Amino acid sequence: MKPAIALIVALWASTACADPLWQDDLNWLKTMVFASHQTDYSGVFVYRYGNHVETSHIIHVADNDGEHARLVGMDGPRREIVRSNDQVWCFIGDSKIKLDGRRNGRRFPAVLPEQLSLLNENYQIKQTEEGRVAGFHAHAVVFKPKDALRYAHRMWAHSDSGLLLKSEVLDERDRVIEQNSFIQLTIGGNNIDRSWIKADKPEAAKLSHTEHRGPEHHAELPANPSGWLADVPSGFRKVAEMRRSLRDKKEPATHLVFSDGLASISIFVEALEGGQDDRPGLTSQGAIQVYRKVSGDYMLTVVGEVPPRTAMQVADSVRLGGR
Amino acid sequence: MKQQISALMDGELYDDEAEALLDKLKRSPGTDGEWRTYHLIGDVLRQPDHTYSSIGTAMRERLQAEPTVLAPGRLAARNTRWFALSAAASVMALALVAWMSLQVGQEPPTQMVMHQQSVAARPASLSSNRGMSDYLMAHQEFSSGADVQGTASYIRTVAGQ
Repeated sequence: MKPAIALIVALWASTACADPLWQDDLNWLKTMVFASHQTDYSGVFVYRYGNHVETSHIIHVADNDGEHARLVGMDGPRREIVRSNDQVWCFIGDSKIKLDGRRNGRRFPAVLPEQLSLLNENYQIKQTEEGRVAGFHAHAVVFKPKDALRYAHRMWAHSDSGLLLKSEVLDERDRVIEQNSFIQLTIGGNNIDRSWIKADKPEAAKLSHTEHRGPEHHAELPANPSGWLADVPSGFRKVAEMRRSLRDKKEPATHLVFSDGLASISIFVEALEGGQDDRPGLTSQGAIQVYRKVSGDYMLTVVGEVPPRTAMQVADSVRLGGR
Repeated sequence: MKQQISALMDGELYDDEAEALLDKLKRSPGTDGEWRTYHLIGDVLRQPDHTYSSIGTAMRERLQAEPTVLAPGRLAARNTRWFALSAAASVMALALVAWMSLQVGQEPPTQMVMHQQSVAARPASLSSNRGMSDYLMAHQEFSSGADVQGTASYIRTVAGQ
């Protein structure tokens, strides 16, 4: 009797200690999300879609002031994104755009539990294989959608920290349409260059063209203030609604955001101005679709990491009602 | 003697003459060389596929005189292995090219769907359309994928510009 109990205890202990991170689906998913926000790292990653390949350098630091990240394109003209908590600066060539006000009061990690339950509802989450990415041992996780209205995702996370090392978006025929993968990575913040975190701000004066864009102040509005409605695939929930100013537009646009935990759909409604950019149609970049159409006196723009069919269906369903 | 051999081969001797000649040939060992030479001449004149000559014998004798070398066998084996390796490499290269063209050269299936649905859609990429970056940025701020995928997903907003 006693040896049997000892054996059971030993077995339990060995399985429990072997890989605690990968025991429970939601637990390691949580670890992955935490790692992407709380880990200090720097490295080089490759972004690929269609026949386009692009290499970027990334630094991510989490300190007492919060989260800071810097993304620098290594090819072509200057492209750089600096993010400090809610604020984002975007440098393209010699123009600088500042964006701020990311989801007031919905900051990480408060958003996490809700997002995880959404993810679990809409995707079949499964660990598949183990392998190596950028020299690190990684576990692969597949997010298989429950319908054809969204893409499947495959992610490789660092087995120890849960940091995402590689991610792929797959279409309904399991073809990779977009890939993000580290090719070099240093985890841990001891030797990371942090000079850009504060030194960056005065640089704005040197830039020829500076803009400030974002949601209008106190823009987080009650449930459905604009009256715009849309039919989104089941599993998507409205996570934000606001009015925001866009470049070259006189009137601010209404911006609705829906999420299924992994993919998001944005709907922009603007008054029709007849400018050069107001051409309807579908444009795409890897997993991202942008579909624009004219509806009455309005220009509708749907943006999302969803198949073209979904973006079009959503755009076709947008209507003003309920007021 | 030589003429007799030639005549015998051409079948121009009577039976008794032929038997006498064959007896003579058996008894004198030097004549079988001539016998062989005449056969060779006849064979070459008739141009058969295979001609017997003593070259093979000479070669065999010289080979037998050479010391036994084990290395050539190993060399030959290594050559086939190299060949096998390079064959495997080229198969892999082909597979890689095929895979890459599959992965990289593949247009996203959006075009197909666009045609099916016959909308006023262009296969334009976002990067060629600067007006779109505003929408991408605004969308990215609220993208839930960014929570799982981290800051790297912001690359979508500036890619190709």
